[in-house]
Amino acid sequence: MLALITGGSGSGKSEYAENLAVGLAGKEGLPLYYLATMKPFGEEGRKRVERHQKLRTGKKFLTIERYVNLKAQKLPDRGVVLLECLSNLTANEMFEADGAGSCTPKEVLLGIEAIRSRSRHLVVVTNDIFSDGVLYDETTRQYQRYLGELNQKLAKEADEVTEVVCGIPVCLKRWRDDEKVVEQL
Amino acid sequence: MVLVTGGAFQGKKAYAMETFSLEEAVTADGASCFWDDIYRAQAILHFHEYIRRCLEAGREVDTLADRLFRRNPEAVIVVNELGSGVVPVEAFDRHYRETTGRICCELAKRASEVHRVVCGIGTVIKNG
Repeated sequence: MLALITGGSGSGKSEYAENLAVGLAGKEGLPLYYLATMKPFGEEGRKRVERHQKLRTGKKFLTIERYVNLKAQKLPDRGVVLLECLSNLTANEMFEADGAGSCTPKEVLLGIEAIRSRSRHLVVVTNDIFSDGVLYDETTRQYQRYLGELNQKLAKEADEVTEVVCGIPVCLKRWRDDEKVVEQL
Repeated sequence: MVLVTGGAFQGKKAYAMETFSLEEAVTADGASCFWDDIYRAQAILHFHEYIRRCLEAGREVDTLADRLFRRNPEAVIVVNELGSGVVPVEAFDRHYRETTGRICCELAKRASEVHRVVCGIGTVIKNG
């Protein structure tokens, strides 16, 4: 199954996504892979990575670092993959020298498809960077456009879409029956 | 009246067009339409841009929600959620952000339905 987890900064979306991945792996006795996409820049980046590593301690994740070209990533086994996060991956593909540049949305989607085909369950963490009403420069808007597009495409494909608010998961699309908690008309 | 809200680049327009079976011809784009188009169109897109233009032109917006509801009670209004960032540095931006939020509250109060779109998925947050 494919799950998409969204939310703002510090919303608790990572912890929710980890627990979801751990739960899926535990239930079916599958290996757990953590696909880390963030390049740790400087002290702040290192601290952020450390915090996330601490969160994962004892959860038996095998961490794989991957910044660009996700489709080339092989996995030891078909297990549960937690990809964190789509916003970093998209930024890497757009702005890194070895990234996909203007082909970013297509390359990221191909990468996700590839990882999905090499795993039993894929949990993707993304980021809500769209609700502050700030009109950014064209490059940043392009980044927002790409990530917005990717979020919509993945949400359409996903079996579960969850928005995490203050650590509380709000179900937007549910696994199995596709019904939402708040009924659509 | 129906209000469709959510962050930028969430697929709000596509969601509204599909959910309410709208066509491009019956919509008004708040970023570029004539002032009175919003009273005739079946759907108003980028309504926050309409509010911005009103403020820039010094037009009165205190009664905008009320006027819109009275003159176009069946309209579908698509608007961006603007309020979840740091307080803007520029006074105009602060005014614009706050005014848009207040007008959306007024519209939501009058609307029979309010939909919130996240990652292309709409959730009905008010019904009736």
